This record gives sequence, C-alpha cells and structure tokens, in this order.
Amino acid sequence: MRIYEDLRLMQSRLAVLQAVVVLLVAALVVQFCNLQVLRARHFRDQAENNRSRLVTLAAPRGALVDRKGQLLVGNRPSFNVVLVPEHALNLDRVVSRLAAVLGIGEAAIRERLARRQPYRPVLVKTDATLADIAVLEARRLELPEVSVEVVPLRSYPLASAAAHALGQVGEITERQLQLAEFKGLLPGALVGQAGIESRYNRELMGKDGYRRVIVNSRGLEVSEAARQPPSDGPHLTLSIDASLQAAMEAAFEGRSGSAVALDPETGEILAMTSTPAYDPNRFTTGIEPAEWAILANDPGTPLMNRVIQGTYAPGSTFKVIAATAALEERLITPQTSFYCPGQLSVYNTVFRCNTPGGHGVVDLRRAIGVSCNVYFYQVGIRLEITRLSKWARLMGLGAPTGVDLPFEAAGLMPSPEWKLRVLKTPWYAGETVSVAIGQGQVSATPIQMARVAAFIANGGRLLRPHFARQAGTPLPAPAVRPETIAAIRDGMRSVVAAGTGWRARLASVEVCGKTGSAQVVARALLEKTPTARELLPHGWFIAFAPADRPSIALAVLVEHGGSGGEAAAPVARRILGHFFGLERAEPKAAVLQSDADDTEG
Amino acid sequence: MLGVGVGIDRRLVYNVDWVLLGTTLALSLVGVAMVYSATHAGQKPDLYLKQLALVGVGVLGLALAAALDYRRLADRAVLLYGLSLLALVYVLRFGPVIAGTRRWVVMGGFQLQPSELVKLATAVFAAKLFSEFRQESLGLREVALPGAAVGLLALLIAREPDLGTAACLVPLFLAVAFLAGLRMRAVVGLAAALVLAAGLAWPLLKDYQKTRIYTFLDPSLDPRGAGYQKIQSQIAVGSGGLLGRGFLQGSQSQLGYLPARHTDFIFSVLAEETGFVGVFAALALYLLVLWRMLETARLARDRLGAFLVAGVSAAFAFQVVYNVAMVAGLVPVKGLPLPLMSYGGSSIVASLMGIGLVLSVRMRRFAN
Repeated sequence: MRIYEDLRLMQSRLAVLQAVVVLLVAALVVQFCNLQVLRARHFRDQAENNRSRLVTLAAPRGALVDRKGQLLVGNRPSFNVVLVPEHALNLDRVVSRLAAVLGIGEAAIRERLARRQPYRPVLVKTDATLADIAVLEARRLELPEVSVEVVPLRSYPLASAAAHALGQVGEITERQLQLAEFKGLLPGALVGQAGIESRYNRELMGKDGYRRVIVNSRGLEVSEAARQPPSDGPHLTLSIDASLQAAMEAAFEGRSGSAVALDPETGEILAMTSTPAYDPNRFTTGIEPAEWAILANDPGTPLMNRVIQGTYAPGSTFKVIAATAALEERLITPQTSFYCPGQLSVYNTVFRCNTPGGHGVVDLRRAIGVSCNVYFYQVGIRLEITRLSKWARLMGLGAPTGVDLPFEAAGLMPSPEWKLRVLKTPWYAGETVSVAIGQGQVSATPIQMARVAAFIANGGRLLRPHFARQAGTPLPAPAVRPETIAAIRDGMRSVVAAGTGWRARLASVEVCGKTGSAQVVARALLEKTPTARELLPHGWFIAFAPADRPSIALAVLVEHGGSGGEAAAPVARRILGHFFGLERAEPKAAVLQSDADDTEG
Repeated sequence: MLGVGVGIDRRLVYNVDWVLLGTTLALSLVGVAMVYSATHAGQKPDLYLKQLALVGVGVLGLALAAALDYRRLADRAVLLYGLSLLALVYVLRFGPVIAGTRRWVVMGGFQLQPSELVKLATAVFAAKLFSEFRQESLGLREVALPGAAVGLLALLIAREPDLGTAACLVPLFLAVAFLAGLRMRAVVGLAAALVLAAGLAWPLLKDYQKTRIYTFLDPSLDPRGAGYQKIQSQIAVGSGGLLGRGFLQGSQSQLGYLPARHTDFIFSVLAEETGFVGVFAALALYLLVLWRMLETARLARDRLGAFLVAGVSAAFAFQVVYNVAMVAGLVPVKGLPLPLMSYGGSSIVASLMGIGLVLSVRMRRFAN
C-alpha cells in the first residue's frame, strides 16, 4: 500500500508560483510590444544612424580661366583627416592620440567636436601631408574612428597675381551658415570668401555627391549602400588677360597702389591689380589666426582691393568730367579760352594754379594738356555744383560701378542736397571751384576713373565693368555728343604728346591720358617736409589707346607716389607697352621734356 | 561515482514528458541558430558547431539525470553539498583569472563553471532538507539553518564574482521553502531581510557593479560605457519591429554594435532578427517549459520530487526572466546567461541536466 503525502497546501502554493511566472512573462511581452511595435520606428532610426555614415564627395569647384584659356584658379587633390566620434570607446584617448600624431592642438579638435552634428564626420585636419597619412594608416586598427578623405582643394597657380580680383575660398563661417545664400551647406564647407570666388560662389560650387556606407561598431567601412557622384562646378572664363595682369603687377615694382584695365567697347576687365597683395593659397585650408592677424593689421592693408574699395580724391583726372559737363551744357566750346595768371581770386579766396607763373591764355585742349587749374576754376564757376554733380554721376561717380565683385565702394560726388543732409550746412560756391579740379569732398575709386577713361574712349557710353564674359549685353546709347568726345580726346592726346603725361608716351601707339594728384595734406605742409613719403600725394593716371580706335582704357593710382605724371604715367606706359607688344620701346622724345610740365593740380 | 543506481525501466519511458523535452530541444536549437547568426561573420565562425556539440553533451547529461532515481540522488544530498563547497573554494583559490573573475576550472582544455552545477546540487540539497520537515507550516527558525547553508554557497559564488548566478540561489531556496509551507509572515519577513541585506551589501559591491546600477537608472550618464550595452540592446530589440529584420540581417547584431551578443545578449539577436513575432514565440516556449515543470511538481509522487522540481524551476525561471528583462532594458545589466540559448558549455549542459532532473521526477510519479 502506497502512502501518499498530503500535498494539498503545496498544490495551492504551486498555483501561486505558476501565476507569478505567467505574470512575469506577460510583463515581458508587454515591454517587448512597447519596444518592438509601439516604438519600433524610433529604434529603427537609431539603428540606421548607428550603421550608416554619410561621406561627402566634395565637388571640385569650377576652374577660373583667363580670356585665352590659361588657368588662373584650379584644384588639387588634398587629404582631409576626419573623425566620427559616435562609437569611439574612449574619445579623450582618440583625441589626444590624434593631436600627437598630427601635431595639432587638442583644444582645436575639441572645439570642432563641440560644434559637430550627430553622426557627421568632424574635420580634424585639412590638407594633411603624406607623412600624416602614412602615420594614420599605420594606426588604422588603433584609431578606427579616424578616416582620410580625398577632397579637391583650391589652388592659385599664379599665387598673388590678381589675388584681389579672384579672391579666395575659406571654410564657411557660423554667420554664413545662417544665410539663405548658403542653404544646405554644412560646417567645414569651403565657399568663396572674397572676389570672384565669392561673387560667383554658387555657380562655381557644383554639387557635392555622397556615399552612404555601412560601418561596423568599430567604425570600419563594411559596404557601400548608395552613391551619388559629385557634379563638378562649371569652368568660368574670365575677361582677364593673364599676361597683361603680370605686366601690370610688375609695373608697380613693389609700390602700393592699384590699376585696372578695361576693354572700352565691352567693359570687360583685362587686368586688375592692387598692391600690396597676398597669396590666396594661404586661405584655402583655413588660415592660422596669427597669420590672419598679421594680414589684417598690416598698415599696408594687403587684404583691401584698392581698385574697388580705395576712394581717393580724383584730382586733375576729374577735369575730364568737368570739361565734358561744360561742353555738353554748352557753357564752353573747344575754342573757349581763359587767361591764367597763376591763380584766381574768387569768393574771397585765392585759388592757385599748378604753375606759379601761370599758363597765359589757354584753350580747352591746352588746359587739359597742361592741366591748368585756373581754366577749370572758371569752368566750375560757370557750371555750378548741380550741373557738375549731375554730369559726374552720369559718368559713373558717386555710385558703385556694379562690377562683379563684392564689397565695392561708392565713392562720393557731393551735391548741395548731400551736404545739407549729411553735414547740415549749405553749399558754398567756393567749394565748387575745388571740386572742379577734383579736390574737396569728391572721391572716386580707380575702377570708377577707368570707367571715365572708357567713357571717353568708346564715344560716351557708360559700361558696367565685369569679369564674367557674357554675350549679347546691349551697349547703352552714347550719353554725350560726338563733338564733345572729340574735344576731350584732343585734350587727352596733348596730355601725353606735349603735357603732364609725357612719361606714358609710346613710340608707335598714340596714347590719350590725364594725370592727377590726390593731395594727402595741404600743400604748405608738404613743402616743409618734402621727404616724408606718406605725405606725398597719390599719383593718378587715366588713359586709353590707341587714340583713334581705342582698344584699352585704364586707370593707375600710385599711393604717395607724387604727381600723376611722375608716378603713375610710367606705370601706365609699361602696361600699355605690354598690351601693344612694345615693351622694349623707350620714350625717346620724352627725355627732352621739361620738368615744368610735371606739375598739375 | 556517487554510487547511485541507474536503471532504465521500460515503464519509465512511457512517462517521459515529451512536450517538455521537445520544447527544451526546440529552444536549444533556436539558440544554436542565434549563436550562428551572432558569430558567423566574426573571428570564430564555427562557434555554432561547438554549441551544437554542447547541446549534444547536454542531452546526454539530461538523459543521465532523467535515468537517475532522484530519491537516490537525494540520499547523497549532504555529499553533493560538500562537493559543491569544495569546488567553489577550489575555484576561488586556484581558478584562473579570466576577465577579472575566478569562475572556471580548467580541465584538459575544457572550461567548467562549477557554479552552474552547484545550482542543481543546491536544488537537490534544499529539496532533501525541506522534505525532512514533517510539520504543516514552517517559521523562520526552521528555515534558518538551510538558509545559512544555501547562503554560504551563494556567498562563495558571489565572491568569484558572479552575482547573477549567486542570485539564482535566492529564488531557488525561497520557492522550495514556500512550497514546504513557510508561513506567509515568514515570507514577508524574509523578503524584508533580503532588502536589508542588499542595503548592507551595497558598500561591498565592486565599482563596476555600482556603475552598472547607476547607469541603468540613467543610461545617458555614460552612453559609451556601462550604459552602452543597455542602449544598444534596446536599439536592437526595438529595430526588430513586428516581423524582425530577417535571419542574419540585423544590423545591430551583424555589425557588432551589440555586446556579448552570443552569450548574455543572445535574446537581443533573436529580437532584432525575428521581431516581436519571434520574441512572442520564444517567450511562449519558455513559458511552456516552466508550466510543464511546475505541473510536474504537482504530479510528483512525493514532497522531495515536488521540491526538487520547484527549486530547479525557480532558478530556471529567474534566469530566463532576468536575462530577457535585461535585454529589454528593464533591469541592470548583469552577467547572466539565458538558459538553453546562450553560448556557454556549463550553462547549456547544466540547464539540460536540470530539465533531466524534472523529467526524472515525472517519470517516477507512479513508481515505487
């Protein structure tokens, strides 16, 4: 007979245990339902972020070529070291390792890490050397979070040539990232920061491609999920003539100043220089703060494009405008003469001419040729400021030329309304007398004055200077009568042939020009300390050639070079000599010229 | 070795719980498949074959345990306890340090984890002790001595350190005592004592253990360190969705984001690749196993058999529930394998042998 133990209590307690097990498993099912059904999308996204990494394939920027197809700005391959920190087991260690291996500051890496976007590679070093790459390759397994990308980097084979016109690229700034213009770009992108690179940034940039790669937990690439190849930025042909550009820069011989040459028929810019310049190659990989500080604080302002940002009193080059205005307003004719005794007393002021003894009786042609101030005082008195201002504006002063470069200065063409509005004082007639010879409040940029030269050269059409060669831009109608143009040309011809601009004379091509001096200090002070270079006036020279059928118009400004005839005309001559292929020609007749003609207002 | 008679009576075979056996083997084979998925692309792509072989060894162990008459085994309970103590002390004294712990005995190229077998021995020992009590209800006084004996084993295992396995002995002991008639007041008192003990043990925990608890409470404290496992496991589970990403297709598992994926986190692999449907099926199988085990306790011909089954079931249930809850991010990460599925020889063999003990009890329900 079997003896069965009394197991009743145990049966009920077993039921409790069974219930506990069922409840626990049910709780687990609820939690899995929560994770896998209700929140599945959230975790699917996280898994996707985990495993896939977007690698940008940088589109090479479009190259910039000169009018003859010579490369001005191109690209070269470079190596970027990037870091994807998401799965770094010990980020601090990775950062200090990297800093040591690449010889860069840990702080710089940390600063970039702080600004990163999740799962985006962080740029650690741009333009790494082959030695850097070799070291990193050797530590590939040790630093799997680090990879090397090949990216096209901007290169400026002509170094500082036309640096200001071409501009440079740099890493996009925090502020730029907020702008609509740069929408869709990420930190680290290279964008145009100055010059043509900036103005045509969108056109040049092309479209970056990408690779979506699958990476394992150590950050090593396993496979490629998708690829969108980059589309290169289109080439941009510029109106620049690289050879003329080089000649223009050489002509300055290290002096500071600027020059710009235009095709007077189209407004195309053939060459543009501003000295001192800088090497844009220094910017392509992100300039060192110390180096930037040196450039930015240099008293010679190498970063400034003097051609479009330097505003100077136009001095006697303004006489071309005053004469045009007076002729068009029919206040004078080419035959109108005034007597120059060396000075003019008017409005209780004595206005001096540039030659103490005076020029005697001068007509328009001679007045321009020898730059007689008294003649233009008389012209100014007859024109009055309103008409003078109107014509100066018509010829492009007081407003940006619209050249395809960023940050262009407007210069200033004063008027009674302007003075009342800004200085809160009425216009005095005596001021008009000064403005008529390009002194006083009036100021202009070299590109505005080159445009004035082109205006006379092309028969009175105001063109927009530009680099990008666009077809079919209609030419504006002439704004002045042919007789006026003929008279001014006649005067400008005599400037070079027998006047203040004789140093610009070429043996076989007839040059028309006009000298000018922008006074920096009062003449009296200059006479006391004639050796102080920074007190010397800026020398201007505007010109076009050949006289009968002009194919080039230009403006030259030599800062603190002295008078335009002495300082700027020789520079212009060298530029024109190169343009016409006459580099070796010497101005034989010129050496006979007397120094008396060098002075001008 | 133990001098226990192994007799295969034809009548016994008729009483084998084929549902329990079949479910157990099914889970083991799912485990092999998941080990394959977790390791086929790694440095040891043949690990699943080893796991398969271990399942084979485990089935032999299961057969052996089933063939043993559990009553004969229980007669040697004190000997088993003594051997357990010896093994654990040996491990602590002479075991090699692997990953900062002494858990293994190395014998001829095999690594054996005595604590896994100690679990079974403890079940036999506790069942034997409680089956000796004849009164209807037990108080704290009666369970104090057995508690201390089992507690000593748990302490030794915890010293290895292997907190997870040590913790398994607690529900094992409690379940047996509960079935033996421990008064409800005493159950509550014991629970309170355990909480108190946990509080007192806190200063004794290793730093990494404390860190795991802190980061469990707030994983963002250390997303790359201790919180990493929990975060990555949850991503794996959640991204599996309803139907899963497909066998061998889970990115978290296949690309190595999931840590310990063939051992403690094997269930994450299953969750990612087979989705909620697979999880539901696997949990249903585990529940079926547990249900059949506890039913066996009901059907046992004596208290000893019921207690033995309850002890084995409680440890098994605790391990399954804790491991799966850990995978789902519900409890702190602790090194505790999932019975039947996780890669690991000692774990799989001990789990299957435990099932064998349960089968043994059921087979002998009518036998003398």
